[in-house]
Parts: sequence; C-alpha cells; structure tokens
Amino acid sequence: MITQEKYRTTVKELLASGSVKMVIGYKPGSTPDRRRPLFIRTSEEADQLVLDSTCMTNLSGYLVTEGLLSDEKRVGIFLRPEGIRSINILAAEYQLNIEQIVILGFDSTGRDVRPLEGRNAGDFSGLLSEIKEKPVQTSKEPLLERIEKMNAQERFDFWQEEFSRCIKCYACRQACPMCYCRRCIVDSNQPQWINTSSHTLGNFEWNIVRAFHLSGRCVQCGNCDRACPVNIPLRLINQRMATEVLDGFDHFAGLSPTQEPVLASFKKDDTETFIL
Amino acid sequence: MSEPFEPKIVAFVCTYCTYAGADLAGTSRLKYAPNVRIVRLPCTGRISPMFILKALQKGADGVLISGCHPGDCHFTHGNYHARRRWMVFRALLDFTGISPERVKFSWISAAEGGKFADLINSVTEEIRNLGPFDQYQQLIKETESPATL
Repeated sequence: MITQEKYRTTVKELLASGSVKMVIGYKPGSTPDRRRPLFIRTSEEADQLVLDSTCMTNLSGYLVTEGLLSDEKRVGIFLRPEGIRSINILAAEYQLNIEQIVILGFDSTGRDVRPLEGRNAGDFSGLLSEIKEKPVQTSKEPLLERIEKMNAQERFDFWQEEFSRCIKCYACRQACPMCYCRRCIVDSNQPQWINTSSHTLGNFEWNIVRAFHLSGRCVQCGNCDRACPVNIPLRLINQRMATEVLDGFDHFAGLSPTQEPVLASFKKDDTETFIL
Repeated sequence: MSEPFEPKIVAFVCTYCTYAGADLAGTSRLKYAPNVRIVRLPCTGRISPMFILKALQKGADGVLISGCHPGDCHFTHGNYHARRRWMVFRALLDFTGISPERVKFSWISAAEGGKFADLINSVTEEIRNLGPFDQYQQLIKETESPATL
C-alpha cells in the first residue's frame, strides 16, 4: 500500500513537471486478482493506479505501439525486473530509444511489493546481473524436469497432446513484448511456412517457430503462459531455450540496452560437437 | 509383400562448398545412396530453420544440412551464424521430441567428394535403421494435405 501511494505521488510529479507525457501502469480488472493496463495522462487518472503483487503483466509491449514514441517525448512505465530486461532487448533491437523510457521499477515477494531504485535502464544493470548469477527460481519446475527425463518418443507425445489443444488464437503472440513484427511469419502465405489451420501439425510448427524466435530473447515474464486460453505450458519451452543460450553462449537476455542479440552474433570458437 | 523402407532425406547445402563437394563426388564416379534430395542454397546462413520444418512437413524422414567449414565461408561468416542457430534449433527439436538423429549437420568442403559420398551413405543407413518418421507422418495425414516429396 505504501509503495502504491508513493508511486501515485511520483506519477503525479512526473506528469506535472512535464518530464513524461504518459505513464503506463495498472488498474483494477474484472476480478479482485486481475489487473488491467492503465494509461495515465492526467493526475486524476493517477488516482486509479494500483500496484500490488497481482500486477504480473509485463507492460513493455505497449511501448512499441506505433507512433507512441515517435514524438521523442518520454513515457513512464511500471516494470518488474523481467520488464526491464525486455525493454533492454527492445532497445538493443532498435525498437525504441531507451532514453525515452522512465522506469518505475517494482518487485514483489509473496504479497509485499517493494519499489526498485532507479529511473533509467542503466540504473538496474547491477540488479540484472545479480539475477543472472543468482536466479530467483533456484529449483527447476517439476514439469520441466519430468520432460527432460522422457525419451524422444514420450516428449513428442507429450507436446502433441499439449499442442492439440491449441486453437491458434495467437494470444501468446499478442501478449508477448518480443513479438513486434509487423508481419508475422504465420501471416505470410507466399510461401506458407506454417499450416495455419488448427490441426496438431500446424499448432506444433507454430509453437516451435515461436519458441525459436524467442530463444535468447525471452525473459520469462510469463505473459504468453497467462494469456493462453487452453493452458499450454509455453513457459517451459522458453525456459528451456533460455537455459540453452545461457549454457551454450553465456547469454542472459536483456542485461543491457546495448547487448548483442545472441543469434545475430557469433564467436569463432562456438561449440560444434554435433556437427559431423 | 511390402517393399523395403527407403528413407527420404532432404539435404540443404551451400553452393560454394558442399554442393561443389557433391559435384566432385559425381565427377569422381563415387557411388552413394539415391535417397537424398539436394537443395542448393547460396550459404548455410541462408538456411532458415523453417526449411527443416518444411522438409519434415512434406514427409521427409531425415534432414541433412551441410556447408563450408568454419573459416571457409564464401561470405566470410555465414556459417558461424548458422552454427549458433543450429545449436539452438537442435536443442529445441530435441526438447519437443524430434530425435536429433533425424536432423544432421555437417561441414563438407568442395574438395571432400569422398566425405560427401560417405556421409550420404552413413546418414541414409542410420535413418533407414530409425525407420519412417511415423509420428510426424501421422500428423501430416491429419492435415489432409498429402506429402509431395
């Protein structure tokens, strides 16, 4: 509560001083444990701001809305550490100018919310490298461990079962701050790489392609997982890919706004044990 | 009596090294298994993971991807980029249950006609032992778009 009040005041000050044109935050949703994005332009609107442990959504995707940042004015945004990582990636991929973003950082343990010190992306580099060294989640998800113990056949069956529920609503894509392509690969039909109807093969291909596009970029904010209406454990694939790039290339996505994207760079001595 | 299983293998190769290597195998009159369908591309850096998926989608039992040795790329570093991409993609396929034995990667230079012929033979043999990719072919059947390989 104290954090929320403090941040309401901060937002009002930021807007009054004219240093930001808008602040993106949270407001109450349709049920007590749901939150909705709030776009604050006036100090009255700031009174609707809510900040508690149920504010899970990574809002950074709204920053790449067409035209939002083109007037070169600054925008404030409420972000968890994962959110800060995702705007670093967006900046590294030249999707936004990091100077235009005022970060209102917060994190929560249990039901307690605490503010994070700093306003610019650079202020959080220490915090982010700490997360890289000491992941918050030390133990692996039991389901992930179970999948890794399966053989290829069982894994195939497991994922086919999961993907057979997919209804191709593309909510995962819409919710993901990293899926900003104007024209997604599934929308292109010359050539059509992926079966677009929602049979299992098409679903499988879609999810593989999405996971590949997110490898080395996903920050595990969980937006896709929460958005999925049929509860496919999408986070597991992304988590597995994040481990892969961390182990293989020591790449932790979103450490800084100038970090080179892992699949757009290389080292001459990258491992190649699998190449005949 | 059913015919013995002959695997369908799609090979994506770079034109400067592996394709030239395949040419050398041909001009040297080396014999190799006829199961492979070669797709020539400008560089391994041009080989999108989508190609691998598309090959499987069209009913391939195995995929082979091959290009210049590191340091030999005609475009100086296309194969370095490709190598990273493959490593990640291979892990992804493995995690989703496509056995990495069905998707092979190799470096074959223009001078290695013999290596090319040997590799095609050994990959064909391995995939023949694995058998047809039934799981995937079942999925293809569901889509009612018959394989065109």
